[in-house]
Amino acid sequence: MKTPLKLLLCHHGTDGARAAEVLAHEFAVTGITTVVHCLVVPEFWAGMQGDDWLNNASTRDAFGHYLENMLENDAKRELAAVASRCKERGLAYESVMRLGNPAETVLAVASEVGADLVIIGSPRKKGEEGLRSRMEIEKLVRGLKCPLLIAPHP
Amino acid sequence: MVYTKKSPALFIIGLVMLLWGWLNASGNIDAVQKSLQRSAYSDHMKVKEKFDAEFRVASEIAVAESKPAPNMKMPGTRFDEAKAFQTTMCYIFGGIAALLGLLIVVWTPREGNLDYYLSIFPGMAYMLLIAFLVRWGLDPMFANWGRDAQPTLGWNFASIFNLNYVVLGIVIGIVIVNVFKIPVWAANGVRTARFFLKTGVILLGALYSATELAQLGLISVGMIGVFVLGSIGVVLYMGRRMNTGNSMTAVLSAGVGVCGVSAAVAAAPVVNAKAAEIAYTIGTILVWGVGCMFLFPTIGHLLNMGPVQFGAWAGTGILNSAQVAGAALAFDPNGIETLKVAEIFNITRVLFLPIVVLWLATWYVKHEVGAEKVDLGKVLFAKFPVFVLGFILMFALSTLGTFTPAGHYQGKYFSAEQIKEDKLLKGKEIRAIEGELARLKEPAGAKALQDHFTEKAINIGARHATPEDAYKGLAELIANKKVSAREQETLLAAVGKMKGLDAVAAGAIDKASKAAYHNSKTIGAFRDWLAWLFSIGLIGLGMQITMAALKQAGGTPLIIGGVVGTAKALGSLIVVLLFIKEFI
Repeated sequence: MKTPLKLLLCHHGTDGARAAEVLAHEFAVTGITTVVHCLVVPEFWAGMQGDDWLNNASTRDAFGHYLENMLENDAKRELAAVASRCKERGLAYESVMRLGNPAETVLAVASEVGADLVIIGSPRKKGEEGLRSRMEIEKLVRGLKCPLLIAPHP
Repeated sequence: MVYTKKSPALFIIGLVMLLWGWLNASGNIDAVQKSLQRSAYSDHMKVKEKFDAEFRVASEIAVAESKPAPNMKMPGTRFDEAKAFQTTMCYIFGGIAALLGLLIVVWTPREGNLDYYLSIFPGMAYMLLIAFLVRWGLDPMFANWGRDAQPTLGWNFASIFNLNYVVLGIVIGIVIVNVFKIPVWAANGVRTARFFLKTGVILLGALYSATELAQLGLISVGMIGVFVLGSIGVVLYMGRRMNTGNSMTAVLSAGVGVCGVSAAVAAAPVVNAKAAEIAYTIGTILVWGVGCMFLFPTIGHLLNMGPVQFGAWAGTGILNSAQVAGAALAFDPNGIETLKVAEIFNITRVLFLPIVVLWLATWYVKHEVGAEKVDLGKVLFAKFPVFVLGFILMFALSTLGTFTPAGHYQGKYFSAEQIKEDKLLKGKEIRAIEGELARLKEPAGAKALQDHFTEKAINIGARHATPEDAYKGLAELIANKKVSAREQETLLAAVGKMKGLDAVAAGAIDKASKAAYHNSKTIGAFRDWLAWLFSIGLIGLGMQITMAALKQAGGTPLIIGGVVGTAKALGSLIVVLLFIKEFI
């Protein structure tokens, strides 16, 4: 397999994503490969106020800002950590953070950055604790125009 | 930022409404209406047949007497009223939607107030169109199917599963958001669902009597106090035992204990809940709330519960406040008695909310190392539910007689002045009362009257009623041909129920009593609008329940929420069945 120039790494801090990062480091070549870190904030957060109707607008706004800040800070922390590990290896690094459906966002970002390899982690085992926002692998496989590599679950 | 999405959707919705209004007005869809409103149509045909017969006879008489054809008008029927109502609603709202829709099509939106306010109309019209479809189409359709299938199934599935406009509206909302997604042009307006519900609660304030509010308030404070504080305490205990973490435990206890998602939203920032903890809590509450909304009304009917019992049970046992209103209307879609009870419980819960948030904030600071202290006064002020003030204001205005004479009960009030000429007692009725008055003045009659008053504990002010009071009241009734004062009406109503009273006299007294009571048009309009406001609001709230959020339910929060939610539902059911009696 030829050395990827743009390697799209899908990483959001889970164990599976960390395994994908390790794999990405194996495929990336210093001076040639740019690791594009794609972090997707799942769209279900947008509906996280549920059917609350009793609160005042100020309480709902306070909740919205609180959640937004928290998700942003978590994401920034994740981006900084991956960026620092890439830097340690001398790899060029770029990041993209989006809110949306995971598979659709990865497809869009892969096309935008011209990715020639996409690496993702494998889905969490059933019953394992964590947020329910699984990547639709079939949608990804059908839509991608470059190879897709799935790191085995650690 | 420009909020208005350039789309012909609102214009099209307006045209659809106008078309439906015109089809109704022209009678082109009478066949459809006939199949939807079977009972109203059957009554309509009976009235029509009677009118046709009367008209035929009158015409024959007119011809025989060489007089012009009689000018008779068929009396209005429920069927006609329903069609006229649909026509009016469609013309008003369809007209507004079409005009504003046209403005959106031709105008290039620019940032500003006009753009912001205009952007909410497509979503509002979208919810209203669904409400029309559900209330005028699906609701009667399912009711007909339920009745048709009853002989085969042996039970009415539409009635047992409460497939009425409330449940169907919420289900359609959930289906839209999860299957089709909310259209971009409607997104801003759909958020106004909360406004519709809050307006509904505020209007509801006009329908309570002071006694009702005091009685319900007392029960709700007692029940909510015990079950809210109890469930918060249990969640805090279970959370500590199961090591769920302080912030997770605190946000879950608010949601499970007070008013569901609203409480979780209010408490999360105060107790520094993490994103995943918020997702688990809200997912758990939504799953539980939606399940209860379908289950509670069916159980309520199976247990033959009354409005007060069911309202109290739903108001205490259902975790999420939106589903309390939904369950109350699903249980009793044609009246608002259950909703009135349930909403008092909802209001009590939301009044508990600031206090509970303060409690949890203090608890969190005490148990979490490094947690920052919160400004308690600021929290209390920010979380106070302002719309409750509107509810109190409407109650006060209604009690003071702003909408209808003071002292009304559910819009019904006493007024001797407003008794119409044709409601006055006739000669035959007066003679029957005179006869009874003479009989009651005899010793045997006087004794029977006294015994009756004693048995029924009839009072005039602070003293017991006497036969002399009755004689005076009957004499005044004979003289005026109507009751003149509320006290007189109460006394005569008791006389009218005496055993052995002449049937014509008893009927005349009953007629005079009824003639003195009038229904307030304003309060009647409030009742009608309430059902629409809740219907639209609940459709909109259904659109906020996403499967993605429901899926987050799981793990320890679901176990704790499940245990405490079940205990709360069962505990409140037992308390309601044992101690709550129907009294309003």
